Amino acid sequence: MEHRGVFIEDTFAEAFPMRATRLIITAANERWARQAALTLTGFATSVIACKCEAAVERPLAPNETPDERPGVSVLLFAMDTDSLGKRLVERIGQAVLTCPTTSCFDGLPDADRRIVAGRALRAFGDGFQGSKVVAGERYWRIPVMDGEFLVQESFGVVKGVGGGNFIILGTDLRSTLAAAEAAVDAVATVPGVILPFPGGIARSGSKVGSRRYKSVPATTNDAFCPTLRPLTPSSLPSNADCVLEIVLDGLDESSIRRAMRVGIEAACRPGVHAITAGNFGGKLGPHHFHLHAIMGQSQVAEAPRA
Amino acid sequence: MPDATTLMLRSPLTQLIESDGLTADRLAGLSALEIGRLPVWSGRQRLPLGDVFDVRGGRSAHVRIAGDVGHVAGIGAGMTSGELVIEGDAGASVGAGMSGGRIEVLGSVGDDAGQAMTGGSLVVRGSAGNRVGAGAPGASRGMTGGEIVVAGSVGAEAGARMRRGLLFVNRDAGDHVARTIIAGTVIVLGRTGREPALGSKRGTLVAVGGVDVPVTYRYACTYEPPHVRVAFVHIRRRYGMTIGPEVVAGRYRRYCGDAGTVGKGEILEWIST
Repeated sequence: MEHRGVFIEDTFAEAFPMRATRLIITAANERWARQAALTLTGFATSVIACKCEAAVERPLAPNETPDERPGVSVLLFAMDTDSLGKRLVERIGQAVLTCPTTSCFDGLPDADRRIVAGRALRAFGDGFQGSKVVAGERYWRIPVMDGEFLVQESFGVVKGVGGGNFIILGTDLRSTLAAAEAAVDAVATVPGVILPFPGGIARSGSKVGSRRYKSVPATTNDAFCPTLRPLTPSSLPSNADCVLEIVLDGLDESSIRRAMRVGIEAACRPGVHAITAGNFGGKLGPHHFHLHAIMGQSQVAEAPRA
Repeated sequence: MPDATTLMLRSPLTQLIESDGLTADRLAGLSALEIGRLPVWSGRQRLPLGDVFDVRGGRSAHVRIAGDVGHVAGIGAGMTSGELVIEGDAGASVGAGMSGGRIEVLGSVGDDAGQAMTGGSLVVRGSAGNRVGAGAPGASRGMTGGEIVVAGSVGAEAGARMRRGLLFVNRDAGDHVARTIIAGTVIVLGRTGREPALGSKRGTLVAVGGVDVPVTYRYACTYEPPHVRVAFVHIRRRYGMTIGPEVVAGRYRRYCGDAGTVGKGEILEWIST
């Protein structure tokens, strides 16, 4: 398959079930809502070492938030509900409660499963805290130095999907990066999806395990490292000297599919030779995102291979 | 209102009628004939409901009552679910003890509306009498849940002994609003009467249109309370009340009290800028 001159490999991305939640952070203005969100989602690229994956989903207009102030929605993913709950308490407590003017609300009100992270944070009020019930939801009022921090008691949890991906093989760093940035901007329009790596792009794609260091769980994906082309079995076509990966976490499969499509669509531009995806032979993750199915059956052509 | 059961008043009432079990959830399982056989009381006299109302429909969780039922007491008392719309005025004790569903009165109501309710919502598009959301005489608690929204004014002792829930008054409140409130929130957009929130333990009185703060309250600060914003936005979105942005995003003087109790309550007095 080819799309706008870019070869789309007949392969699939293999993804995994995760537990996900959505927060709505509001503040006196966009600056502080965004700051709280960026701080909360910092150091959350991969569960391997960060214990969770998180990023800003999108900014929210005042008419989209429970208190009609500017806001930001954030998605957070972890391997299980217990871990997700701990990360929520940690991150809301250290990044949102501490940030001027913020309030924090649940973004999945219809979810049956709940985490009472807000309740856990009430102890910071040292007995001076109070709560209010509005529309059947409890909100904790924690006294702080700029007034009160308002946090909803419970946050919805859903079964999400982590590890959707596509890999961009380009001529050089400049053109590949431009394609990846275009993909990131396109994916930003799709709700329910985040890109947890810095700026949405991973330059250090990994493989499971190690050739050399048995205790290291993940190491560089040498098959896609251009400097190693003659030194290791390479998956690179001869004209691709740069590879960047887009990793997607989503609230459901359909969101990831939609995001992969718009992202790949945007990445297919001059300087990009092929799009592929990472998987483990389909044996580990139950969610498979086939690139051809996502992009539809358009032109089919042979692309130059190494 | 989809497939509603309609109760049309046959003739203007001159005597008080006590309704018993006139709730949407109770009527949901009954035919028009069965509804007509339900008892109501006029003094000592027991009457079939069908003598007072012309009943159409049946077996619906949506009920409409047409006609001036200002002489009918206890409509919606104990309701647990469904929707009940009263197209005119209603008598006393509307929605008393209700725990679910929604009652909407397009006119005004008498005393004791929403008395000791535990859930659901009661919307009054006109005004209400005394003791809205308060407790029964001698009871230790008033409403313990749910929401009451009054588009007009309320009489005395609104929200008295309230334990939980939300009471919103779009205009004025009479004397002793939120008296001995235990918890929950009372919001008055108009003027409050004498001695508001006396004896409050840890409830909140939001006073927008003017309040005489009792001497047993102490000033804390002037700030923008986030929970008040959430409550206002909710009331505006769910009940269509008009609340100006200067009130929603306003600054409030916070007074802590009542010093005669545990004193974890508050009066939030809106200040215009």
